[in-house]
Amino acid sequence: MIPAALPRPARRVLPRTLARVFLRSLFLQAAWNPRGMQNLGFADAIAPALDDLYPDRAARAEASARHLEFFNCHPYLAAAILGGAVRLEERVASGEASPQSVSSFKSTLGPPFAALGDGFFWLALRPTAALAAAATEPFLGLGCVLVFIVLYNLVHLMARVWLFAAGYVRAEGVVDAVAHAHLSSGTPFLKACGAALAGAIAARGVVDAGVPGRPFQALLVASGIVLAWAALPRLGATRSVYIALFLGALIGAHFF
Amino acid sequence: MLPLPAGGAPHLLLLAAIAALIGGLSAVERKGALQLMLARPLVLAPVLGWALGDAQGGLTLGIPLELLFLGGVNLGGSLPDNESLLAGTMTAMVVPAGMAAGTGVDAPLAAIGLALLFPLALFGRRLERASERRNAQLMEEALARAAQGDPAAARVNLKGLLLPFGAAAGICALGVLASPLLALARVRCGGPALSSLETAWYAVWAVAAACAVRAIRDPRAPALAAICAATVVAITLAVRGMW
Repeated sequence: MIPAALPRPARRVLPRTLARVFLRSLFLQAAWNPRGMQNLGFADAIAPALDDLYPDRAARAEASARHLEFFNCHPYLAAAILGGAVRLEERVASGEASPQSVSSFKSTLGPPFAALGDGFFWLALRPTAALAAAATEPFLGLGCVLVFIVLYNLVHLMARVWLFAAGYVRAEGVVDAVAHAHLSSGTPFLKACGAALAGAIAARGVVDAGVPGRPFQALLVASGIVLAWAALPRLGATRSVYIALFLGALIGAHFF
Repeated sequence: MLPLPAGGAPHLLLLAAIAALIGGLSAVERKGALQLMLARPLVLAPVLGWALGDAQGGLTLGIPLELLFLGGVNLGGSLPDNESLLAGTMTAMVVPAGMAAGTGVDAPLAAIGLALLFPLALFGRRLERASERRNAQLMEEALARAAQGDPAAARVNLKGLLLPFGAAAGICALGVLASPLLALARVRCGGPALSSLETAWYAVWAVAAACAVRAIRDPRAPALAAICAATVVAITLAVRGMW
């Protein structure tokens, strides 16, 4: 059961300001640094909301300084925390909560949301969307680029907007909303699709090399894929690429 | 005489400016802004190729590069190889070279380009570390301003985009300016060298396919990929009446 929206605090940010906060959240990692990680991006993104909530310059500076503390999350899932932080700042400005509650909210949700976002977006959706595009290239040509952009960003942008809105409406309750979003349960399905598409792309390489009437070349490419797959963890991509270039050049020059 | 694009040196300079702009924007989009995946090789190479005059040539480079770097992820403080810098510079160098040589982006040209430029992916990672050090200075600046009561201290955030933009723009422009040398090498390649380079490019494709399977970090992935690959090969052979 997803909890209902929280009661509205006395002081609130304008809808236009919320839109500005969201737009600035797209630059969350502009000044990513090892010490504060996304702290500058977060403080910059929430600044328009603080301008609305704290007319007094000293109070605004104090609130702004609070958001320069360490912050790290997945850049997309951070939208939920940013939305929630805006709602909590409304409560702080209305005297309904302590400033410490905002810090606790950010530091508690950052790591688990980061793990969730990394697993779904970086390790499942992005590779699968890219493999879908690569697999459709023989049929769509340059249109395959659109397959990647549309597949990925349809999910990504909708998720980002929804997370920000859910964070703002529910604050701490955003945890339940995210838990019901099936991000973690969708990951294995996407990975299975990605694996199948990777197999299809490998098959395309084998078929292209072997047809018409070149079974030796097909076998060579198939063996190359299996060998590279086995050697990659030890050799790494750079060495594997140079070894492939060298061996390919030797075979092409008929040294073997 | 070095082979140049149709419009000569002014055309080459124009292409360098275009590559600098698109390469710089891609470096910013990759991590600091938006992250719509427009900086991935699959998108960047054809888009830059289109801007330089050969979108299909860009796609020829973009797909294997995408597969090679499919598993690279930026988790916490760890940095993957910089696939965007490599894709941008390689497209900036190979596409104008193909136009100047009159061959377009073919397998031999792509193989030479990749052999020459692959270390840029590693260099890009070092560049990103340098950018992070610069960002740490920006953070110190913001903290100092906040301590003095400046509510707009975090506005320095966007300054973090300048270094990646400038560095990538410069490197991509150099790629275009060096393209006549690559075109010369391509023009001078004879029969055996062409066959050798062509096979080398297909060998890279094999590594790229293996990287794609590895990128799916799931214990079932190799088996699923093998079953799917065998099915696709069997269906293709059956459809073509060879089995």
